[in-house]
Amino acid sequence: MSRLVPAGEGLDARICLSRGEIEVDVALTAEPGQVIGVLGPNGGGKTTTVLALAGVLALGEGHIRVAGDVWDDGRRRLAPEQRAVGLMLADSLLFPHLRALDNVAFGPRSRGISRHEARERARTELERVGLSDRATSRPRELSSGQQARVALARALATDPALLLLDEPLAALDPDTRARTRSDLAARLTAYDGVTVLVTHDPLDALTLADHLVFVEDGRVTQAGTPAEVLSEPRSAYVGTVVGLNLYAAHGDSHGHVHTADGGLIVTTSPTEGAVWATIPPSAVSLHRHEPEGSPRNAWRLRIASVTMQGQSARVGLVGDVALTAEVTLESVTALGLQVGQGVWAAVKATEVRTYPR
Amino acid sequence: MRYAGRWRSRVALGVPAALALLLLVVPLVALLLRADWARIPSDLATPTVLPALRLSLTTTSVTAVLCLLLGTPLAWFLARSDHRATSWVRALLTVPLVLPPVVGGVALLMTWGRNGLIGQHLAPFGIQIPFTTVAVMLAETFVAMPYYVLAVEGAMRGLDPRLESVARTLGASDLRYLRTVGIPLVLPGIAGGLALAWARALGEFGATITFAGNFPGRTQTLPLLVYVELERDPQVAISISIMLLVVSVLVLGVLRGRWLR
Repeated sequence: MSRLVPAGEGLDARICLSRGEIEVDVALTAEPGQVIGVLGPNGGGKTTTVLALAGVLALGEGHIRVAGDVWDDGRRRLAPEQRAVGLMLADSLLFPHLRALDNVAFGPRSRGISRHEARERARTELERVGLSDRATSRPRELSSGQQARVALARALATDPALLLLDEPLAALDPDTRARTRSDLAARLTAYDGVTVLVTHDPLDALTLADHLVFVEDGRVTQAGTPAEVLSEPRSAYVGTVVGLNLYAAHGDSHGHVHTADGGLIVTTSPTEGAVWATIPPSAVSLHRHEPEGSPRNAWRLRIASVTMQGQSARVGLVGDVALTAEVTLESVTALGLQVGQGVWAAVKATEVRTYPR
Repeated sequence: MRYAGRWRSRVALGVPAALALLLLVVPLVALLLRADWARIPSDLATPTVLPALRLSLTTTSVTAVLCLLLGTPLAWFLARSDHRATSWVRALLTVPLVLPPVVGGVALLMTWGRNGLIGQHLAPFGIQIPFTTVAVMLAETFVAMPYYVLAVEGAMRGLDPRLESVARTLGASDLRYLRTVGIPLVLPGIAGGLALAWARALGEFGATITFAGNFPGRTQTLPLLVYVELERDPQVAISISIMLLVVSVLVLGVLRGRWLR
């Protein structure tokens, strides 16, 4: 999605500030048209980052440059109303007393555009999110998905150079979320500014963003394209998000990987030194008796949890190596898997990936 | 035993409760019983009542407008600020609420009187505030404004602060946000605050008589007239009182659903 653009046209920010318990130091860069997905656990600094970009919070240090303009350099700060920014939050936060059209026209009106022109613009924006027929509805007459789309139209009606979406789909029920997600994706492809999308839903990030930034405890723990992140997670949180068993470990040239917890994993793709090792949950097979054949990993583990997910089950295992296995429902019943029980877990050495830490 | 115990606690709680109710209700009933309903229209049309009625209406209206124009911005500043000074300002605001009105009148004299803090600078220009209609308005505003500000501040604190963040990213200045979003959303609170402040201003007596005196047509509001007429023609005083009682009940009607459930 990146285009040939002169440097400094997109987003270039380093956000350093302390808020409450947390010290945030996050760097973000993007080119026009890019969608950056910011993920991380709650209270990790995602919303603080967004509020600093919006201008609601002041930077302690660092800088925010958008489309060549300096918004904040730690000393001089543009107020939110002076920034070409659009903001959309989890609860769409529409102005409850204004009709959909006037909600969307609020931005252009506030920026000095005539009532007539602002309404024309608002009509266009509502059309782009497929809501031209709900222009005269008040927010409470709209469904939650429609409210979210009006909020998106409102945020884009001022032609922002930077669009901030803070958990835009979090307040929606699953059905509405899926539909609104594709509406959002469609609208964002036609938007040529930088989008910063904060979410804790990996699906949002993977389907909407073309660059991911993980923020934990106020720091960036990993950044990269979705493909890079999916194949090589670099923190326990990222591992959970992408659904891989992830181990901080030490590897030797023989393919032995020693995890920090004292476990031993065998791989056919050795990396020496400090490594991350991953095992896909679907590569784990469970057996009642010790499996035969080599070279494979086999551990006697204890079942800590069993949860169902559609036609498969996720089995949480503890022991020498903490492991999540994804098995079919048939094998759950065939093996009679029960919490607290012992079971053998086997993983082919070819399924274990390692890469430098 | 249990039966007797239940009766004893019923009496121990019921008797004081009934007394409290009687203390509050009997005076109102007495007032209504003593009213000569047929005479009320003519009483209210007497040459002394009409000027007082007009004065009360104008001064309380001005007070309401002052509350609206000056009190609303103050309420907004108090509502959005978490600064330590804010709680001090709020505490200061509540002082006129509990201050004996007479003391308020004295304080106003010390401010606007010929030798007062501000009055001494006005005297050279021939401007005299005490014992004028303006003094009545100042006295009423002094006692009524805190009610308005606290009511509106409460309503504004109920607003989601993120609405303001969104409005500002859309390009709205503070003034535009307040005009187009903040105030429209707290209109019920503003209406309630106005009703409360207006009712307080209408009943104002102590600060007014101290600071503005009791001059018919100039500073004699309805409560002051009631006080005077009680000596001269009690029936007129009762008729005016009935009118004020009716007005108070009407204000209660406005407030119902806001603070009263």
